[in-house]
Amino acid sequence: MHDGPLIVQSDKTLLLETGHAAADDCRRVIAPFAELERAPEHVHTYRVTPLGLWNARAAGHDAEQVVDALVRFSRYPVPNALLVDIADTMDRYGRLKLAKDPVHGLVLTATDRMVLEEVLRSKKIIPLVGQRLDPDTVLVHPSERGQIKQVLLKLGWPAEDTAGYVDGEAHPIDLAQDGWQLRPYQQQAADGFWHGGSGVVVLPCGAGKTLVGAAAMAKAKATTLILVTNTVSARQWKHELVKRTSLTEDEIGEYSGARKEIRPVTIATYQVMTTKRKGVYPHLELFDSRDWGLIVYDEVHLLPAPVFKFTADLQARRRLGLTATLVREDGREGDVFSLIGPKRFDAPWKEIEAQGYIAPADCCEVRVTLTDHERLAYATAEPEERYRFCATTATKRRVTQALVEKHRGTPTLVIGQYIDQLDELGEALDAPVIKGETTNAQREKLFDAFREGEISVLVVSKVANFSIDLPEATVAIQVSGTFGSRQEEAQRLGRVLRPKADGHMAHFYSVVARDTIDQDFAAHRQRFLAEQGYAYRIVDADDIL
Amino acid sequence: MSTGRTEDADGVRTLPRTLAEDLRGRDDAALSALLRARPDLVHPVPADLSQLATRSSTRASVIRALERLDRFSLQVAEALAVAADPCAPQELQALLGVDQDPDVAAAFDPAVAALRDAALVWGEPERLRLVRTARDVLAPAGGQPGPTGLGPLYADAGAGLSPTRLQEILADAGLRSTHDQVSALAALSALFADRKRADALLAQAPEGARGVLSKLTWGPPFGATPPRAVRAEDARTPVEWLQACGLLLPAGRDAVVLPREVALHLRGGLAHRQVQPVAPEVRAARTVDPEQADHAAAAQAFTAVRTVEEAMDLWSTESPTVLRAGGLGVRDLRRAAQALDLTEPHAAFWLELAYGAGLVAPDGEVDEHWAPTPAYDEWLRRPVAERWLLLARTWLAATRVAALVGTKDAKDKVLPALGSGLDRTLAPELRRDVLGLLAALPRGSAGDAASLTARIAWQLPLRGGDLRDQLVAWTLAEAEDLGLTGRGVLARFAAPLLDDDETTTLSRLAPLLPEPLDQVILQPDLTAIAPGPLRTPLAQTLAVAADVESKGGATVYRFTPDSVRRALDAGRSAAELHAFLAEHSSTPVPQPLTYLVDDVARRHGRLRVGAASAYLRCDDDALLDELLADRRAAQLRLRRLAPTVLAAQADPAAVLTQLRTMGYAPAAETADGDVLITRPDARRTPPRTPPTPVPDGPPPVTTGLLAAAVKAIRAGDRAATVTHRAPTPGPLPRTPAAETLATLQTAVLTGDAVWIGYVNADGAASQRVIEPVRVEGGFVTAFDQVHEEVRTFSLHRITGVAELADDEA
Repeated sequence: MHDGPLIVQSDKTLLLETGHAAADDCRRVIAPFAELERAPEHVHTYRVTPLGLWNARAAGHDAEQVVDALVRFSRYPVPNALLVDIADTMDRYGRLKLAKDPVHGLVLTATDRMVLEEVLRSKKIIPLVGQRLDPDTVLVHPSERGQIKQVLLKLGWPAEDTAGYVDGEAHPIDLAQDGWQLRPYQQQAADGFWHGGSGVVVLPCGAGKTLVGAAAMAKAKATTLILVTNTVSARQWKHELVKRTSLTEDEIGEYSGARKEIRPVTIATYQVMTTKRKGVYPHLELFDSRDWGLIVYDEVHLLPAPVFKFTADLQARRRLGLTATLVREDGREGDVFSLIGPKRFDAPWKEIEAQGYIAPADCCEVRVTLTDHERLAYATAEPEERYRFCATTATKRRVTQALVEKHRGTPTLVIGQYIDQLDELGEALDAPVIKGETTNAQREKLFDAFREGEISVLVVSKVANFSIDLPEATVAIQVSGTFGSRQEEAQRLGRVLRPKADGHMAHFYSVVARDTIDQDFAAHRQRFLAEQGYAYRIVDADDIL
Repeated sequence: MSTGRTEDADGVRTLPRTLAEDLRGRDDAALSALLRARPDLVHPVPADLSQLATRSSTRASVIRALERLDRFSLQVAEALAVAADPCAPQELQALLGVDQDPDVAAAFDPAVAALRDAALVWGEPERLRLVRTARDVLAPAGGQPGPTGLGPLYADAGAGLSPTRLQEILADAGLRSTHDQVSALAALSALFADRKRADALLAQAPEGARGVLSKLTWGPPFGATPPRAVRAEDARTPVEWLQACGLLLPAGRDAVVLPREVALHLRGGLAHRQVQPVAPEVRAARTVDPEQADHAAAAQAFTAVRTVEEAMDLWSTESPTVLRAGGLGVRDLRRAAQALDLTEPHAAFWLELAYGAGLVAPDGEVDEHWAPTPAYDEWLRRPVAERWLLLARTWLAATRVAALVGTKDAKDKVLPALGSGLDRTLAPELRRDVLGLLAALPRGSAGDAASLTARIAWQLPLRGGDLRDQLVAWTLAEAEDLGLTGRGVLARFAAPLLDDDETTTLSRLAPLLPEPLDQVILQPDLTAIAPGPLRTPLAQTLAVAADVESKGGATVYRFTPDSVRRALDAGRSAAELHAFLAEHSSTPVPQPLTYLVDDVARRHGRLRVGAASAYLRCDDDALLDELLADRRAAQLRLRRLAPTVLAAQADPAAVLTQLRTMGYAPAAETADGDVLITRPDARRTPPRTPPTPVPDGPPPVTTGLLAAAVKAIRAGDRAATVTHRAPTPGPLPRTPAAETLATLQTAVLTGDAVWIGYVNADGAASQRVIEPVRVEGGFVTAFDQVHEEVRTFSLHRITGVAELADDEA
């Protein structure tokens, strides 16, 4: 029996013992096909999924390599059934190809006629295809390129899309690397994307995804549409692009609720794209308003459903997805795979931290006890009010004050879900509050003040969850959240992970009410942190006060 | 071995005239070979050789013997069945095409010897005789064509032709006319035995006749067209011409048949289209490093043991009910499959295996449940290799076929797991055969399923049909699941099992199994990872204190508040849990886990729940002190819950009565705490209306009806009292069973009527005179002269048989 670092489980998870001498080699060979699911301290868990295997096929790996990697590094014999299953699954990718035919345009060709027969019998496929040109080829309406890829994936026969991309309207874009350089992993991510044509780059918050986007634009040298989550984020993209590339302010347009500019590089928010008036999406024509050469999707894991629908029609354009996690709380990972593209690059959080590009963080859960009076009120609260009730308990205020006091002088963010609670906290801490109704100008002003160190404590609502670049934030205190969202946890942690000028550690506190659903939700989020490799502690409020 | 000649007491060689005589002439070795080949003949041991001969010629025994033949031996027997009786070896060889294929020539003598050993063939070497019953089975007379697809001989097929018609045929076939039917048919037969003449006749055939013949040549030999008595010159179709010349003869009212002689001529004298003298070779699907295969098999063996263990543990606490007809309900199977994370067929396989190994059984209670047996606890204490051995041994010998679970039986009823109807006698034999073939492959070769199926089909052509082919596939899959094979290669430790050498198996398997560990890795995400199998006490404790999240080479456990609470419920204290974690963790215990244990322990048991039948409350604690001290109140089993509350284990009425006899004046309370007022009034219902009568009686009787009824009753009464004819007097004939059988079989051959004593299903004895037609499968089919109809009699109900005196017949 040989002594490999990998244990293959019957549910197709792979356990990798990180302390093992061969762990690094093993990680390198399994990363292309297995999704890192959990990375706690000692044993990392990878999961082999059909999507992961197809991702690997799309990246040019074959079943033999996968099987060989498993057999080579596995501590125990790998069940034959699992190897066979992997080979079978991988074999399904690429039996069907979407290709460009010089005469007929877009066609679906098969290397296996039986598979083509099978999918052509599907009711969902029939409306998407045209004439059968020969036994192995069928015409596909160019407008259905995305749709058919989605359906084929659902049928379990993912098509390889070799139909290529339109170049789009050329526009000179270069990286202005004056006094800074792309980090190696950012370069790799951009190269990986460009080589694959379309796809998703997975990088932790704070690892500089914007620059990967900029690098991709510099490669495309074409007009670009960037879709981001909100206006603040849009401004930040613009700011960053002006700073890091040859683009000027005038070349970058903002397409949001406030402004509707269409320029060679246009940054639009998901919100404006998905605004519906009288049953139609009035801003949809943005996609067709220019001959875009590249479309960048920021925070792909938040991509709203209608955008998927539009994206299906944009299959001839290069698409880059940027995200911190492929986990979608709605389970639409398959749509990301088929419509935006396979995963082209990912780097685990801890690895980038080890390289010093993101700050190490100390995670701590502070448990507060409800007063007897609050407990009674909590027990009788309506089910839908319960979380709100325990999450906003007054006891949290004292703990938050104590924590802020403890880190006095360091830039601190207090993050919460409920406006009332935030207002109270703002008052108690004597700190400005940024919430949904705060104007963008006011937000920018406050963020600038925070960045400059004029304000050391900022109370923010969930508007600040995403893409706000506050590099100096060192302490984050979360007092309430969107139930148990792991995504939100990742984003909030990301707020404090920008590398610090003085290199000291970031602190991430969650203040949680004991013995309530707040604690249950917190457990869910904490698990995510632990799985990302962050050791965390649980302390009682009394230890802080 | 047997020579086919008999030496009688005087040493004079005589020819055996019957199978019994032939057997008598065989030496002991040959006889024991016979009994080994046909074990059914030994149960019970026959009294003498005549009885052995009789028994070996019964239909059931012959069919059993035929089923054990491989494809080629069977083909030899089939050829013999369509040849003359007795048959010269040359004739038989010609039927098999010995001169065309050297393989056939090589296999011929051993095959004949095998048939002779099995007492299916007897007689001297130049005059081979197939046992008559075998002949009937392989080449049945009448409508059914045998496996060779050959029709009846001219002598049989032409027996029903009118002499005139026969003359016409002879003339059209260009033969001399003769008025004797027998010699006429013989002449036709001889025509087709002569290649040249037959070819000459066929050369005259009109266009299309060849096509018609070729359809019938390889059987079935019947053509669905009404026979027509036409002359060659009047024939308008090829079929008519063929009939005119006697190449097709009438077979009933609306079919024609190709006589055997003609078919043989067209086949070039061969009985089979394709003779398979050589067993198909088993191919290797792929080769695997033998070491790796052994490791894979051992890993699977370990999984097998663990899976059975998990299944049994599951049923230790959640035992499913036994279906009324026996077996396990579909829903319970599905539940087990889900809990064990297996597919339903897999779950059925493991449960069947545990059942077969005696690890699980119905508990025999009124409301029956499936539960592990004491043997399971015994099994658990054994080392893993021994545990596996029991499973492997059980599987090899099991006739129950788990793969049939969920399929439907002949009555369209779904077969439940652990129920009846799953036994297939072929299964154990076939499993050994398949594994034996795998063992014969070069080391490290995985057997190719298709070639294995073909080989098994060649070895056991008459057994099982579709089931046989399925069984091969199931055997391969199950052997892999069980760890007898690894990646399709028979493991080195499994091979000795085929020779029942379990010691070698154990010594080879044990070192391949993973060493149980005593340490787990605790992680901050509240998981514990066991990077291999754990020692049983550790595994059991962990299974209580944490939930299993994933299984395989390693086990991933997750601690949750619920699982920690479970451990506390099971009697562990927080301190014990901390010590346990610290002792068995190879890494420092993560702070969140320590916190979790403390946090759950803090809340555990704060609320207490118990059962009481009644309570007593009183604002005066002194009174309650008094009650507790009073011995007369002991039977109420009072316990103090709070200074002013007592709980009683007796019901409120008993408590009230007892307290009153003790001189207290207690008041009863309602559920809301009000004093219950017992009313002195007798119980009354609210106002009710009386039920109205529902007219449902018989309508009034009319006089006409009354008269008719009386008449009918009188008639019935008369009919019942008339005396019945008494049965024939006289004693029942009584003969021993063997003699009864022999006499009846003789009567079948001679067609004589016999006199039997018969006891019917109600136990009433009677005598009958019957003409037996067929004796098989424990039944006699006979014409009952008393009742003038054909009936079937059970042999075991026939008390005896006697031949009829001549005047009675």
